[in-house]
Amino acid sequence: MIYMQSARSLKIGRFVTKNASVRIGIDIGGTFTDIVAARGREVVGIVKLQSTPGDYSDAILDGLGRLLAAGRIAPEEVRAVIHGTTVATNAILEGRGAKAALITTRGFRDVLELRRIRTPELYNFWYEKPPPLVPRRRRLEVTERLEPDGSVLIPLDEDEVAAALGRCAGAEIEALAICFLHSYANPEHEKRVADLARGTLGSGVFVTASHEILPEIREYERTSTTVVNAYVGPVVRAYLQRIADVLRSLGIAAPLRIMQSNGGTLGLEAVLRVPAAIVESGPAAGVVGGALIARTLASSDAITIDMGGTTAKAALIQNGSVSRTSEYEVGAGINVSSQLVKGRGHALRLPVIDISEIGAGGGSLAVVDGVGRLRVGPHSAGSVPGPVAYGRGGRVATLTDALVTLGYVSPTSIAGGAVPIDSEAAVAAVSGQIAEPLGVAAHHAAQGIYVVAAAVMTRAVKAVSTFRGRDPRECTLIAFGGNGALMAPQIADELGIRTIVVPPLPGLFSACGLIVAPNERELVHSLFGRLIGLSQATIREELDELAARARRELVEDGSSPEAIEIEYSADLRYAGQAYELAVGVAARHLDRDLVAVLAAAFHDEHERTFGHSSLQDPVDLVSLRVIAREASPIADLPTFDYADTGQRPDGIRDVFFGPEAGVCSTPVISRSQLRRRGESPGPLIIEEYDATAVVPPGWKASLDEAARLVLVRQI
Amino acid sequence: MSGRDQITLEVIKNRLDSVADQIALVLMRSAYSPIVRDSLDYSTAVCDRNGRFVAQGLTTALHLGSFPYAMRNLIGKARSGMRPGDIFIFNDPYGSGGMHLPDIYLVKPVFVDDEVEGYSTALVHHADIGGIAPGAMAVYATEIFQEGLRIPLMKLFAEGEPNQTVFDFISANVRIPRHVIGDLRAQVAGIRRGEQGLLEIIGRYGARNFDEFCSALHEMSETAMRTVIAAIPDGDYDYTDFIDGLGEKPEPIRFQVRLRVRGSDVDLDWEGTAAQVPAAINAPIPFIYSASYLAFRCLAGHEIPNAEGYTVPISVKAPTGTIVNPTPPAAANARGIVGFRAFDTVLGALSKAVPGKIPAGSEGGAINFGVGGRIDGEAYVFGETTMGAWGGRSDRDGIDGAANLAANQSNQPIELIEAENPLRILQYGYVKDSGGAGQHRGGLSILRQYRFLADGLLTFRSDRRSVLPAGRSDGLPGTPNLNLLDDGNGAIRTLPVLPMEGYAVRSGDIFSQFVPGAGGYGHPFARDPMAVLEDVLDEKISRDYALLFYGVVLDGDRLDPDRTASLRRDRPVFPNTSHLELLWKEMVGLIPELHCSAPFEAAREG
Repeated sequence: MIYMQSARSLKIGRFVTKNASVRIGIDIGGTFTDIVAARGREVVGIVKLQSTPGDYSDAILDGLGRLLAAGRIAPEEVRAVIHGTTVATNAILEGRGAKAALITTRGFRDVLELRRIRTPELYNFWYEKPPPLVPRRRRLEVTERLEPDGSVLIPLDEDEVAAALGRCAGAEIEALAICFLHSYANPEHEKRVADLARGTLGSGVFVTASHEILPEIREYERTSTTVVNAYVGPVVRAYLQRIADVLRSLGIAAPLRIMQSNGGTLGLEAVLRVPAAIVESGPAAGVVGGALIARTLASSDAITIDMGGTTAKAALIQNGSVSRTSEYEVGAGINVSSQLVKGRGHALRLPVIDISEIGAGGGSLAVVDGVGRLRVGPHSAGSVPGPVAYGRGGRVATLTDALVTLGYVSPTSIAGGAVPIDSEAAVAAVSGQIAEPLGVAAHHAAQGIYVVAAAVMTRAVKAVSTFRGRDPRECTLIAFGGNGALMAPQIADELGIRTIVVPPLPGLFSACGLIVAPNERELVHSLFGRLIGLSQATIREELDELAARARRELVEDGSSPEAIEIEYSADLRYAGQAYELAVGVAARHLDRDLVAVLAAAFHDEHERTFGHSSLQDPVDLVSLRVIAREASPIADLPTFDYADTGQRPDGIRDVFFGPEAGVCSTPVISRSQLRRRGESPGPLIIEEYDATAVVPPGWKASLDEAARLVLVRQI
Repeated sequence: MSGRDQITLEVIKNRLDSVADQIALVLMRSAYSPIVRDSLDYSTAVCDRNGRFVAQGLTTALHLGSFPYAMRNLIGKARSGMRPGDIFIFNDPYGSGGMHLPDIYLVKPVFVDDEVEGYSTALVHHADIGGIAPGAMAVYATEIFQEGLRIPLMKLFAEGEPNQTVFDFISANVRIPRHVIGDLRAQVAGIRRGEQGLLEIIGRYGARNFDEFCSALHEMSETAMRTVIAAIPDGDYDYTDFIDGLGEKPEPIRFQVRLRVRGSDVDLDWEGTAAQVPAAINAPIPFIYSASYLAFRCLAGHEIPNAEGYTVPISVKAPTGTIVNPTPPAAANARGIVGFRAFDTVLGALSKAVPGKIPAGSEGGAINFGVGGRIDGEAYVFGETTMGAWGGRSDRDGIDGAANLAANQSNQPIELIEAENPLRILQYGYVKDSGGAGQHRGGLSILRQYRFLADGLLTFRSDRRSVLPAGRSDGLPGTPNLNLLDDGNGAIRTLPVLPMEGYAVRSGDIFSQFVPGAGGYGHPFARDPMAVLEDVLDEKISRDYALLFYGVVLDGDRLDPDRTASLRRDRPVFPNTSHLELLWKEMVGLIPELHCSAPFEAAREG
């Protein structure tokens, strides 16, 4: 499917900003490559085309070429191209990363493969463990040993280092990871090996040492993070250089910026130092966009739900800010709760937006199992063979087929006619595979698939809200992705949420998020100790030093010094605990007694998150964190009005809204039709190119000033 | 149940699973002791109004089947006295429904309109419970009175008010009260979260409907289990396994089970199992229920709903006075080993009933290691479990370095151990040439080596040195455990698997513990020679081992296909401990100070 909106066909004039910088967001997913160009707040071109997995840059070249050919923007007007990419994740999922080696402390080369030994599932005789990214034969040990405080117990044996590097050279490795026990406390041994390696192996080999990217205690997590960085490094480097070449070939001189997993962007050079920091690049952009929306709402707490063909992703936004975590696994596929079920992938403890992902999307297969349970996902029909309704060979009923059966999705075609829908086949599949075994009518079965899918997605939402002591009922649900707005009302019902916002271009929302994402450098410093034993001066000094470094790096990366803001936080826990809670420090509190400020904030946060706290128990400081941030010059999400996109919704269709409401004769309208109508009660279907939204009975819909669809529950 | 209800049921099931996970998460993230927060030695369950579990968190599998027994006991004794705001506490295996003293159960009845409509529960293995040795792993306790604080069934909170007397009693009886009380607090917070979740569900569907849906979940779960059992040919299946035995001169301790499969019911009879012993490895009956259920739960696959209904077709009989159903005052703190062995025994019997569906023997369960003492007057207690070798399977290898299916606990970060305890870990890794050879080989043995940096008392529990993890279908058995203490005075001492004493260790002493390697599946000569080559290149087996046990000839780093084929023309019968010679060489390589001969004279296949 290739679908494109050339600039001339778009009629948007309400937010034109003269001479504003043009930014282009490019989001590559497994199925689609989405490109959005904006001048100021004005969208000046969108392209959605099929990704080109052989070489993802092909689709970018193609898409940008079309965008420029449309003539609404000139290459030299472009100030930044911001890219969200799955290249790092794919390298891991598909086992196509670099041939890497690991040099580590003698006696511990199996730390990487032993992992935390716990398995992510119970009761499964047939479990298989993910193979290590560096096999045992290339995990090399050298004699050296540090103590937890960083003092040297056994000096580094440089002869052994030379021998190990000789083996690396002989094995023609492309990347080297270096991780020694307790190197977070003293990086000298790692530094020495890194220097020797860079000298011996030459610049063609990507060398990364653990203290450079994660100076934090816990050997498996640090080793794994370092190895992931080495494994994806050469692949990411080659890929990004290719994209930079593509931009040059099109006459775009603007810098290429990359979205990191934590929601901030960095330039090419900076990203190539920690390429593992971009694994959740794509999903992060949507959440950043969501946060921007949340800041304009009455309550700035929100939950984003991003749903496409195979998975649904949920994230929590508090006070307009994204929530982050360092506990993440790459290559884990799908996880219900990012924190409890570990071991599916490879530990990667770099800051990442806290996203809970679950295997339920439009392509999720629906089955009635041996004991009569109706189940949706986690298996997916993917884009090939896809849902039965797409007529590409899919035979098993999917969520999309249920949505067609219900009447939520057009029975004739979607994506502006690009994808024909075979509604008879969809209904027949739902009827034969689900309705008959359950002994219900087809539309009841379809409703069942819809409700069960929403229940599964609700678990993802709970994993980032109620699991952390946050009440979702106080949040707005921001729904995007091709299917997000279809599922949102049911998920909202499950959680007691009363307001849903669907931004313009929901199907290209991640690309929009890229345009507004800030530039960001996040730095962490391990400062382990009993909080009460630390002085205000020490903490202040460390924070200042981190801030200065982050600021410097951001300036080197092209940000203007006066535009940089600094955000401070600390990770704390009760002595004896293993998991920290992050506590923010407002800049205006930096001169106060930080020990007292942090302690008080920690007790509160612990009570809020876990439902208990203890003022008597000693509190440990684990690390300090600083984020230096320069906001995007485009501070508001691009607006987009589908006024004249040639969209011709079908008028009226019969839609089944569950056993109580039954079949309703439902108007199918466009966003701009809704604008003309004003606030309208459900049932309504709002159909647009890249997504469909449903407004069930009991909800009312309106369009706000930024062309966002707002659904409010009436009962 | 109508199709429409079926849909609601699936929604409720998702909600219940979410509640159980949430209890588990609060515990994991806010607990104070490594054994809870890192090893995840705890379990959570959500129960219906009859105390039958309808969801469980993804935690310690071998605990999960103990809830039915505990809940029946609780409801039988305390149902009429329950008030909103109550939280019950117990750990005593004799009369209160517990398993062993470190495992403290907390149960919160969930009230709606003055009626109990469900229970939110969590069971946590606490870091210390007092008793004869720090960390509660003293095998040599002979009576439960030596094992620490017995908590009979009582209220920790009465109508929302904490029972300070109980808290004070616990604080006064444990070595590290701040940790134990901190963990108890996390446990309370966890089940309170669970209560909120359960109330939300009941509020939404109504108590009566909720109860009906719970019944439907049980039915569904029971039906699924019946389908699995019905697929097993009717018949009696016997299996015998052993724990090596106690102390310096171990006598094998026998496990005997008979599975009687009739239609969709199965009956597990433990008649013939050894009498209880004067040591801390007796397992009160709930643990045997749990081990028996677990084996069938695994056979059924992991997608069966986690509701108590699946236990209905499985009945368990264990004669009183045996190690699997001891009478008071039998000691029980280190009873985990009996659960692991009972699980292995049931799997052995099932391997006869449904060949191809049961893996070869694993490492035999978690090894417990504990050390404690005082530094400058302050108590320290450190405990952890080591494990991690899965047996070969009929279509794939076993696993190197994955937690035992029955325990699924994490290892603890070495850097945290060293930062918080007077210990240094000297080695942690695989042992080459270990595990059982097979078409699908068993997981490798793992060495964990500790140096003590303070004086203290060492206790541990291990097994599988003489009776090795079972190979299946001509696969070789696994390889033995070994515990070595080097006190710097010359000879390294080989310590027994289940020591009947604690060892006073001095700062500087080194303790090395080898986790057994797992059994192989299928004849080794049937193994893909390329897989053998990969193992050689990965230094998981030696070239000699490849030649001797796999009949694979290598030419440098390449396979010599012709010589391999000619060597593999016949399939030899390997004496089943012949692979221990090469292993011993490897062990000596890892611990150069070892000068004795291989202490494996008693080794044999189970």
